[in-house]
Amino acid sequence: MVSFIARRLVVSVLLIIGAAFIMYVLTSLAGDPLEEFYQSRLPNREQLMAQRIERLQLNVPVALRFFLWLGGAAKCLIPFADACDLGLTVQGQPVTELLPQAMGATLQLVTAATVLAIIIGITVGIVSALRQYTTFDVFVTFLSFLLYSLPSFWVGVLLKEFVAIGFNNFLRDPVIPIPWVIAIAVGTGLLWVGLIGGDMRRRLTVFGVSTLATAAVLVYFNLSNWFITPALGPVVVLVMSAGIGLVMVALLAGIRNRRALLTAGISVAITFVVYFLVQPLLNISSLYTLMILAAATLVVGLLTGFFVGGPDRGQMMRIGAFTAVLSAGLILVDRYMRAWPTYMGLSSIRGRPIATVGAETPNLVGDIWVQGVDSFTHLLLPTLTLMLISFAAYTRYARAGMLDVLNQDYIRTARAKGMPERVVIVRHAFRNSLIPIATIVAADFGALLGGAIITEQVFAFSGMGAMFQRGLSLPDPNPVMGYFIVIAVMAILFNLIADLTYSALDPRVRTR
Amino acid sequence: MKINRIGAPLAVATIAAMALVGCTTTDPGEEPPASTGGTITVAEVNELTAFTSSTSDTNLDMNGKFIGYTRSSFFYLDEALNLIPDTSFGTVEKTSDEPLTVKYTLADTASWSDGTAITANDLLLAWAAQSGYFDDASLDPETGEVASGTRYFDYAGDTSGLGLADRPVVGDNNMSITLTYSEPYADWQLVNPIDAPLHVVADKAGVSVEDAVDALTTAPRGDAANPNENATIKALADTWNTVFTATSLPSDSSLYLSSAAFVLDSWTPKQSITLVRNEAYKGDLVPNVDTIVVRFIGDAQAQVTALQNGEVDIINPQASADTIASLQALDGVTTLTGDQFSYDHLDITFNTGVFQNAPDVREAFLKTIPRQQILDAIVTPQNPEAQQYDSQIFFPGTAGYEETIKSNGADAYHEVDIEGAKALLNGATPTVRILYNINNPNRVAAFQAIQASAQQAGFVIEDAGAENWGSLLGSGTYDASIFGWISSGVGVGGVPQIFGTTGGGNYSGYSNAEVDRLANLLQVTLDKDEQDAIQVEIDKLLWADGYGVPLFVAPGVMAHSDSVSGVVYYPGQAGVGWNFWEWTKS
Repeated sequence: MVSFIARRLVVSVLLIIGAAFIMYVLTSLAGDPLEEFYQSRLPNREQLMAQRIERLQLNVPVALRFFLWLGGAAKCLIPFADACDLGLTVQGQPVTELLPQAMGATLQLVTAATVLAIIIGITVGIVSALRQYTTFDVFVTFLSFLLYSLPSFWVGVLLKEFVAIGFNNFLRDPVIPIPWVIAIAVGTGLLWVGLIGGDMRRRLTVFGVSTLATAAVLVYFNLSNWFITPALGPVVVLVMSAGIGLVMVALLAGIRNRRALLTAGISVAITFVVYFLVQPLLNISSLYTLMILAAATLVVGLLTGFFVGGPDRGQMMRIGAFTAVLSAGLILVDRYMRAWPTYMGLSSIRGRPIATVGAETPNLVGDIWVQGVDSFTHLLLPTLTLMLISFAAYTRYARAGMLDVLNQDYIRTARAKGMPERVVIVRHAFRNSLIPIATIVAADFGALLGGAIITEQVFAFSGMGAMFQRGLSLPDPNPVMGYFIVIAVMAILFNLIADLTYSALDPRVRTR
Repeated sequence: MKINRIGAPLAVATIAAMALVGCTTTDPGEEPPASTGGTITVAEVNELTAFTSSTSDTNLDMNGKFIGYTRSSFFYLDEALNLIPDTSFGTVEKTSDEPLTVKYTLADTASWSDGTAITANDLLLAWAAQSGYFDDASLDPETGEVASGTRYFDYAGDTSGLGLADRPVVGDNNMSITLTYSEPYADWQLVNPIDAPLHVVADKAGVSVEDAVDALTTAPRGDAANPNENATIKALADTWNTVFTATSLPSDSSLYLSSAAFVLDSWTPKQSITLVRNEAYKGDLVPNVDTIVVRFIGDAQAQVTALQNGEVDIINPQASADTIASLQALDGVTTLTGDQFSYDHLDITFNTGVFQNAPDVREAFLKTIPRQQILDAIVTPQNPEAQQYDSQIFFPGTAGYEETIKSNGADAYHEVDIEGAKALLNGATPTVRILYNINNPNRVAAFQAIQASAQQAGFVIEDAGAENWGSLLGSGTYDASIFGWISSGVGVGGVPQIFGTTGGGNYSGYSNAEVDRLANLLQVTLDKDEQDAIQVEIDKLLWADGYGVPLFVAPGVMAHSDSVSGVVYYPGQAGVGWNFWEWTKS
């Protein structure tokens, strides 16, 4: 194993140097950095040209210039010396200062989208594999290909028009018109029918219940002015956390398992009591308070499982922890919702909360909840854009992987020996279907920092993509090389991680 | 054992509870009461890179705009490029024509935002940077690099004009400087000897203010033949060149001192800067609004949606026809269109090829250029009022432009005249190679229109378009070229550069003794009206020689929400913020 990693690292360094050389030469040849001066009518244009030639060392042949750059970059490898020198941009700013800012902006933009796309994509993919060739499966297939083929600049602009500007206009008089209520309710009903399936009678029941429930909720929204003063309230928190508990039990232990039900029930009950107790504390919370509370929630959940667990301690601890953390998440959501009216009332928001550009409202005054809502309103659109497009790929991989596994002999064996379907799917099929996806997920995390050039531009996030694009258009090789080094190292690192994970997940794979 | 089972969790719980309480915050309180003037948010394409725009590294539009918000000057330019003096900062007075002597006197209201008064010390520093007085560098003619000596201040502007002046005489209790020029300098009115605060530069350079002033007032003029480095000035210059570059708000607020109505308050990298009222400002240009937020939004369409969504009040995008269309579809938004200080033009090569010593062929070729068609295709969608641009020298909207188009003969080329061109060619079919930038769609469109039209008159048009067109300029490998000129819009220093026989920007090989004479005369003419009269004459000669034709002036756009008033379109680099003190927010 060690020799495998060592060999990979040595090869990687050579690979990076080679690729960096190609990148440097291509960037330097991508345009004429003096172009703006050819068109200048300034009396001192010649002097400006000479200055730029000196700044970019244009008198030195490109290949030699690369080694000058490499000399500075190599200093980054000296640990703790702080001697890293990735050069200056044409504007005289050090690349080492710009990179962390750009990485920060990009991570802000793409992290949530990537995580959500992975979770939702895999879930939808697995469900559609289990419902193979049903209307739901066909619909998901259609939708995923449709979204996959959409250009991001177009999705971004559409979302701005309808989700931001449209929704903000709607907030002036937040009542959903009756035709829309009916359409949304029927659509939701159909979605649930597709998800749950079953015979005709069951379908009709599901359709009727979910349609009516949705319609009732929407009407409630209209009557209670919910979009201006949203909140979940204790009742909804209780009902929803009970739902979460049931789903956890059903997935992890089976609905007939009394101990599991007891564990989940205790977790939900504790959450409900805590809901009332914790509100005053939340009002004065900082980020660290929330982190401690989250850790405490996890511990309480684990302890519940530990004490109730009996022979199935591990399983019960999992159920307890999942139920407690997710239910506590509801309390958090509820608290954020309660900050909404305050946020809407701020003069800098002007009653139009959903933003179309940037990462934050400049000079926002408010507590952690208002700040959180501000981040949400700014990240909503870019996250949706990126997620809609990338979730499609995960859906396809997850569906194909799941179908592949479901057709294996050992699944048939498991069913033949009388295992409950839940165990067959969750234990035998689902876990194994995740192995190929692990590779893709690792590669995608590696590519996170590469940025999303177009989405960044549409939503005015000046991240890695913008840095690359600006450097290339002049061309100014130093920022481009800074960008390149980061993504090259990430790609190689995450490939290595993917290989190692693979061998950890699948005992048939050995690394030598 | 027993104690452990109960005690350990208890201890953990206690510590957690303590940490929990310790990590809470107090209520951040209410929003500060909305002050009277309100906040205006402006969208700009580029982010700030420095608190100066005077060095060649930092001479970028956003840096210049930042300086506009936070620094007072002896004058500013209005939307028609008139010089408007700001006497609450200082006065400029020409005390003698022969030799040209100009006195700059600071008003006693001029001060930096840290409370330090602005004195002749600051003017001396600006003069040292802008004049290159101390430079003793000799350049290697091959590479343009410094071969010996020192170039102190990396000033982005032209040093040759102010370099004519002798060391300024400080007077009026250290509140004025007087410059005496050895030769008349035509653009003397554009000299604005104020830049960074000397006390800050000296402090950062590790030099006392007294030593700095002493060096600036006693060190001899640089002599390239006998280079002799002055350590104090070198330290000041090195600091001046680099210390104001930034990527985020520096902890040291002296790096962004203000001398105007606004001062930088915060900077969120990649997002926005916030400018608040400068409490120390005592001048006349007092704004109505209390806060200006500048947000960095590169994409034009994103600026438009942000304006529509009320996130910004004023936008200043790099516009296309689509941008204008989507702006005009919005309610509650005022769109301002106009010209920018850059124009595309077709130039003819005089010293080689088919047009050499062939005035008839030149005239015939220019007669075939479909100027109106190109204007309609490229500019009219963005600026419906755009008209053919008829001067090689003046910009539309200036007084000189109105004067020159009466007589320069440009109207002869308003319409395509194929028959006239055929008559001039008299059956000949000359081949014309046209150079242009193949990556610029406007230039490609212009080339195609010209090609189609000129072929009708019998010209054979060869496509000499290239990606590296810039380095091919002046190489003699083409007969005509389509490219753009970018200008500051003011000053006459650029005229001999482009139209003089030995000018650095004369890619056409154009040479006319009368133009050379007038251009040289222009450089020593001090009066604005006389300058205009000379330029009108040059313009006329250029058109008569068939120098080429301007194609169109690049259109620009600004837009603002109707809750803001006082925004006036501005064609120059200062951009939309040029009259920020007149903005009001309802």
